[in-house]
Amino acid sequence: MSDTTALSEPTPVTEPVEDRVEDAEKGIKPRRRSGGNVADMTLTVKVKRFNPDTDERPRWDEFEVPAEAMDRALDLLHYVKWHLDGTLTFRKSCAHGICGSDAMKINGENQLACSILVQDLGLTDGDTVTFEPLPAAPVVKDLVVDQSRFFDKYRAVMPWLINDEAVPVTERIQSPEQHAVIEDATKCIMCGACTHSCPSTWADPDYLGPAAMLKAYRYVFDSRDTEPEERLKVVDSKDGLWKCYTIFNCVQACPKGIDITRWLSALKRKSVTTRY
Amino acid sequence: MRVGMFAWILHRLTGLALVGYLVVHIWGLKAITNPDAYNALITSYHAPIFKVGEFLLLGAVVYHALNGLRIVLIDFMGWSPNQRKLFWTLGAVAAVLFVVGGYPSIAALVDYFNS
Repeated sequence: MSDTTALSEPTPVTEPVEDRVEDAEKGIKPRRRSGGNVADMTLTVKVKRFNPDTDERPRWDEFEVPAEAMDRALDLLHYVKWHLDGTLTFRKSCAHGICGSDAMKINGENQLACSILVQDLGLTDGDTVTFEPLPAAPVVKDLVVDQSRFFDKYRAVMPWLINDEAVPVTERIQSPEQHAVIEDATKCIMCGACTHSCPSTWADPDYLGPAAMLKAYRYVFDSRDTEPEERLKVVDSKDGLWKCYTIFNCVQACPKGIDITRWLSALKRKSVTTRY
Repeated sequence: MRVGMFAWILHRLTGLALVGYLVVHIWGLKAITNPDAYNALITSYHAPIFKVGEFLLLGAVVYHALNGLRIVLIDFMGWSPNQRKLFWTLGAVAAVLFVVGGYPSIAALVDYFNS
């Protein structure tokens, strides 16, 4: 690129550094975010805080956070952590709805903080938005829950392909029709929003829950899998399928829009028709 | 709205109420061995409180039966994607049955308080 075609000077969208330093000295909190746009509303962010090492019970902290309609709920938490209170603890990784790290209870609904926008939450200037950890899981700190039990249940259904036939030279072929049966279920990102929204899980911590049993469905109905019986034995138990009362909280919570109840029903039918 | 959760809670509550009713009902029937006691029992059932009870019993039975049908359709027929529509449709059917079937109880109540 020749220097005669140099790009024009980018329009400065953030305030000059000197201003920010001056503001910081005066104790004025930043009104602009890293993206550089001026926030067009101020939200009250209420976060349920809890540190099991020092606190007897959870408490609610309130923060005033500048925001705009296209901000993600996660951006509000980032603002708090970066500018207001660095001790706020939450889990996030990719921040784009793929890794499933930041499922939490936002305004009373389990959802992914990175996949829900301020406008999706119907928030306008002066509104309050609440953040709580996922229900029915031990809190590690603030919005971070201990997921060990969740992943124990996941492992219990043997979430891997079982096929003892000779390994083919190329991949094991699956037709588009065969894949269509399990496609919806393969979209699961293991965020836990569903399992922690399920009243059966709230009442019985040992209940396998929608996420684990959706995985069971995904492999039982996989045309390449040769061992559906073993998995059916796991889900067709007192802590399995029959505690699904078709409440549909899991479907409502799923950030990937998976019709979990539909696939668990299919698993129920499969279990009844093959095991009895 | 959490239609599914609301449907489930109502299903559980009406189910428990019906179990409670069944116990009282069977217990009452033991009077059948004594004609006088039986007649007295049946007469007592004409009291207004039992007319209200009849009305509520009908409501519980109608809701529990129709939501049970909804669950059967979801679990056996894979109708889960239509669960909300199913709830409101069967809810409308339940309302009609409730009004038509409950009319005699209400009419009896009105008669009682008018006379």
